[in-house]
Amino acid sequence: MSGENNGMSAVSKKTTSGDMIGQGSQFTGLYYRELVKTFRNPLVILITVVQPFMWLAFFGSSFANVPLYNVHLLLCNNGLDTVCDADLKSYTQFLLPGVLSTSMLAVGMFGSMSTIQDKRFGFMKRILITPTSKATVYLAKTLGSATRGLVQIPVMVVAALAFGVTIGGNPLQWAGWALALFFLGFGMCCMFLAVTASSTDWQTPGVISNFITMPLMFASTSLFPQANFPTWMQTISNWNPVSYSALFGRGVVVYGNPNWAYLGYLAIFATLMVVIGTIVASRYLKAE
Amino acid sequence: MTESAILTRGMTKNFGKLVAVDHVDMDVPSGIVFGLLGPNGAGKTTIIKLLTALSEMTSGEAWVAGYDVHLQPMHVKERVGWVAAEVILDDELSGWENLWLQAKLQRLSEWKDRAEELLKYFQLSDRKKDKVGTYSTGMRKKLEIALALLHQPSVIFMDEPTIGLDPNTRRSLWELIHGVNKEFGITILLTSHYIEEADALCDQISIIDQGKFVASGSPKDLKAKVKADFVELETSEDVDEVKLRSIPGVSEVRSQGRAWILQVASAEEVLPHIFSTLKTEGIRRINVEKPSLETVFLNITGKRIDQGGSEVHDYRKFYGQIRRSRQ
Repeated sequence: MSGENNGMSAVSKKTTSGDMIGQGSQFTGLYYRELVKTFRNPLVILITVVQPFMWLAFFGSSFANVPLYNVHLLLCNNGLDTVCDADLKSYTQFLLPGVLSTSMLAVGMFGSMSTIQDKRFGFMKRILITPTSKATVYLAKTLGSATRGLVQIPVMVVAALAFGVTIGGNPLQWAGWALALFFLGFGMCCMFLAVTASSTDWQTPGVISNFITMPLMFASTSLFPQANFPTWMQTISNWNPVSYSALFGRGVVVYGNPNWAYLGYLAIFATLMVVIGTIVASRYLKAE
Repeated sequence: MTESAILTRGMTKNFGKLVAVDHVDMDVPSGIVFGLLGPNGAGKTTIIKLLTALSEMTSGEAWVAGYDVHLQPMHVKERVGWVAAEVILDDELSGWENLWLQAKLQRLSEWKDRAEELLKYFQLSDRKKDKVGTYSTGMRKKLEIALALLHQPSVIFMDEPTIGLDPNTRRSLWELIHGVNKEFGITILLTSHYIEEADALCDQISIIDQGKFVASGSPKDLKAKVKADFVELETSEDVDEVKLRSIPGVSEVRSQGRAWILQVASAEEVLPHIFSTLKTEGIRRINVEKPSLETVFLNITGKRIDQGGSEVHDYRKFYGQIRRSRQ
């Protein structure tokens, strides 16, 4: 009953003991599939790139004719961030790290939708009928989505340069900034997929996205410094990972001197989310 | 560990108050095509989900390819293949990439030669680089079977493998399934609600209704259990039941509206007598049903397989009565 007849070639299988099965191969396959599906879909790439670009172009330009003095008056307060007059050249420069941070909120929604698509088209059954754990599926989906989000970074930076934004920092700081954005995107993906692990409804990711994205975006330092926030919003902002991603990026772009502790905070956020999410997905991720 | 390809004891699955699979005992020897025949909603797909550890059973035990489904689900999954009712492939990937992904999911290290040979066997070699979304339904089904065979499984589960296919494609797929079983020596558990499919492909069949196995055996044995033919007829004029009972060879008569259903030993022998006896009443319609898996199912459940759980009024009563009269 081995099914090795018919003169066909035999395949090599990795050996195991107990019922524990290594998951490296399955993870590689599923992660690759996520990336391939993304980069072969021109519409997804277009939306991923255009959405933050539009933010920068339209929202960033809304202060274009405001005298720099007034921009400084609005943005250069003492708050959690310490943007000051000498370094800040325009609102677009202030906005760039914030928009990139905000756009990372959306990648979680895409990851969640991709999972629901697999459930509805039966592909999740095809995966889970192989020796692939639910945790592996979850990690491949979340890492794939977070990786997709990183595509936005170079595009946005180029766009910002086209808008005349001066970008400070050095390669190490830029790498740190990319890592900060990855931690934020990965953490958000983990949260999204954990919340929607048992869902098969197309509408769920959109509803949750609207519910989560708006408060996290506005109650953060993405668009404005928190010094002007009411106290309750400052409290949210102080716990909001989007704030720390924006502040770290602003430290690189505006000052060339980021606060590396923010990167540590984001790493803790991502770690916490992936641990909780993996536990939740292992239990509640449904095949259909 | 067990010698059987599939062995279950008291396998039960409840969804709330609904008992989808009800204390099922199976013993499927290695190397055969085993059919689960029953109407939609009978519990066939649920059984596959339980045996592939996609779903957890409420109670009972099951072993597949020698491994305990509950305690060693990953080992079971390494040894089973699956062909879905609806073709499930990644349309964005090419045929070769789908095979690559399957190899990754099954943790295969040297698989390319076998993949090439499978593509050749299923006549898909020249389309392997094309996106699966451009394949015809028949090609997609073949690729799905190739995926199921790639890791040399001991058992392949085929859930309604020919549903939705045109008759020609269905018949060519039957040949492929037969070939997979004989040439690759793989045990196949196949679910179907097509009588002729189960009859043509399966070495052994279990008939399932409302989660329970109601009969098991080879198609020949099952058909042998129904020792009678059934003749359904409708006349232009009213006919007396006594007259029908007087026809030589008729053992049971039941009215069904304007129609009558006669249980006869041999339809070929009785038909001339029916025509001569009912000459004056005028036969408007006559239908002969020889022993088949359909009549086995009818005989046991009082329903036709393709009518699912719905009640078939007079048939149900009639065949139910015949069954009871035999007991």
